[in-house]
Amino acid sequence: MMKTFALIKREYLQNVKTKGFLIGTVLMPVLLVLLVFMPMFFSKMEVEKQVEISVIDYTDSVYEVFAPALMETKMIQDNQSMYALKKLNVPVEQLSAQKAELDKKILSGDLDVYIVIPDSVFTSNSVEFYSKNITNFDFISRVERSLSSVISDLRLNQSGLDPELVETLTHRVNAQTFKVDKTGSEESSGFDTFMVSYVMVFILYIALLMYGQYIMRGIIEDKNSRVMEVVISSVKPWQLLTGKVIGLGAGGLTQFLIWSVSFGLISTYGLMMVQIFNPSVSAIAIPALPWPVYIAFVLYFMLGYFLYATLFAALGSMVNTESEAQNLQWPIMMLIIVAFMAMFTIIKSPDSTLAIILSHIPFFSPLLMFLRITLNAAPLFEVLLNVVVCLATIAGLLLISGKIFRVGILMYGKRPTLPELMKWIKY
Amino acid sequence: MSVLDVQHVEKSFENVRAVQDLSFSVQDGQVFGLLGPNGAGKTTTIRMIMDIIRPDKGEITVFGKSNNIQVRDSIGYLPEERGLYKKMKVFDTILFFAEIKGVPRSKSTPLARTWLEKLELEEWQDKKVVDLSRGMQQKLQFICTIIHQPKLIILDEPFTGLDPVNTGLLKDVMLELKQQGTTIIFSTHLMEQVEKLCESICMINKGQNVLYGNLLQVKQKFGQNRIRLSFDGEAAFLKDTSIVEKYDNYGQYVELTPANGKNSQEILKIAAEQVTVSEFKIAEPSLNEIFIKTVKGEVAS
Repeated sequence: MMKTFALIKREYLQNVKTKGFLIGTVLMPVLLVLLVFMPMFFSKMEVEKQVEISVIDYTDSVYEVFAPALMETKMIQDNQSMYALKKLNVPVEQLSAQKAELDKKILSGDLDVYIVIPDSVFTSNSVEFYSKNITNFDFISRVERSLSSVISDLRLNQSGLDPELVETLTHRVNAQTFKVDKTGSEESSGFDTFMVSYVMVFILYIALLMYGQYIMRGIIEDKNSRVMEVVISSVKPWQLLTGKVIGLGAGGLTQFLIWSVSFGLISTYGLMMVQIFNPSVSAIAIPALPWPVYIAFVLYFMLGYFLYATLFAALGSMVNTESEAQNLQWPIMMLIIVAFMAMFTIIKSPDSTLAIILSHIPFFSPLLMFLRITLNAAPLFEVLLNVVVCLATIAGLLLISGKIFRVGILMYGKRPTLPELMKWIKY
Repeated sequence: MSVLDVQHVEKSFENVRAVQDLSFSVQDGQVFGLLGPNGAGKTTTIRMIMDIIRPDKGEITVFGKSNNIQVRDSIGYLPEERGLYKKMKVFDTILFFAEIKGVPRSKSTPLARTWLEKLELEEWQDKKVVDLSRGMQQKLQFICTIIHQPKLIILDEPFTGLDPVNTGLLKDVMLELKQQGTTIIFSTHLMEQVEKLCESICMINKGQNVLYGNLLQVKQKFGQNRIRLSFDGEAAFLKDTSIVEKYDNYGQYVELTPANGKNSQEILKIAAEQVTVSEFKIAEPSLNEIFIKTVKGEVAS
């Protein structure tokens, strides 16, 4: 016990003390903060200037409705609109001369935009928009939306229909989604549920790949430093393997913990801080998750970590260089990738036979059983059974990997063939 | 009491028979040399003793137990492939290796200090292993091998890579440990060290035991019949097969083997009668010669 603990401690400390670990652990939240705050600081620093718009309207009816409709769409300080509109009365024969003059004004900066509304707009459905910058899509679409609604209302009026009545009659139908679970049904957005499940499974997927390969690299490094022979003559192979897997895993968990605490702090207090600088920023709603999902997340992270770490460790012990490992790791990678791909099918029908079968395959469970839990599709007995199966698989893997490890760790040079590998396991 | 018993051990790798029917035993408190040319099977034998690989046939018992796991903590092992955790600090490294032998830090800390001082590494104790020279790393690894005060030390080629000063230092430490009652087994092809340190040897060649026993007896077996003679005059007796079984004339001197029943004193008498003897020496062959002869197969075991 003391030996295994010594191995775990050494592995943990050596990894936590490295510069890479410190940089990665600290830099991640800092980057996250920058990513969230910087655009907000920038947008705060940018002074919002009114957009000067001139409108040449040949219809005699559009401008009066359009101007207030557009001004309403975006407000800036002191309850002023972002948009300052001015109507120009230009006889048709002077239009080209006037346009040349407005162009000059735009170039000199006295004017931002001018819009020409022809009298044919009710049939042509088209206006002309002139500006130095025609890539401000947000603004252009505001103009289009305002104009469209103004013009269609006018059209309806002309044909003698009441626009409000039409609006009521033609309103589209929305499906209001309710999620049904044991506690009854609760109004909830399917998209939110999908996103949360997706993000969490994605985090698991990345973490399993990352830490698995991390372990593999660590073992190759130790192998190349030729330190294993002494260690293996003092401890049992499974102790060494366990020490490695738990030690590195604890390092990974430390990192994850620091990350998630800082993420939690940022998401809780970050918004408040941002609002001090820029009160117009509104909250992004992060859907609240029931606590069993959190427990399942940690549980399946650990199960998945042990499942894949032991596989990656055995692989690391068989090879001499990292590039050799890259060539050999695809069968293990495939297991994770297939599970990840299956997510997209299972998220649609988490109760299907396919979903049930796939989620009970131990190598897929960390992603797929967890997914079904987040979707409320996994009964408790299935989860418990699955945890037992996963634990048994881990125990078996530790035993087999330990044997491969024991031989592999001292083999330099030639890579073992499959029959040789079988011999190692029987050994 | 024998600390180690190797009985009829065999081991093959793919098509190579690394060790064949090897038997020897090491007594308590002995310094035992495991000799042989490169590729003879020394490291394989040692790894089998350490239970890192298992023999195909035969049995190995350490401290009377065939399951090495029970006695592992009383063995100190310095493998041929040296290696330490490069990023670890020197002092931590020693304590770690003590810990995986079941010795708590509180117990190993003072010992580590003593050993670092003894092997002139105390200034380096807070440095990382990677900052040490190869020789220093080797001394550090030696400390790691003995920090848990093992009753049996197995050293695979302990002297390779060390300069004469450090070789001497290591040899002194080995003798000191022997005086404290530690049994030491070491493999080498440096015969000089064996002659200074070992009481018993086992020489292997091509995986087979070719020479085994007490060092003095081994030497006598090779040396008792050889006489080295320098002289002036006509030595007719050399050709008399009832006196001299065979001889080699090296110009400056002659090496001869007395015939059965003749001892060195009788040879000296006969020689003195016929020639003027300027040098007469009972040649004790160096272990080096024995090694070379044995390996070349000049002597049947």
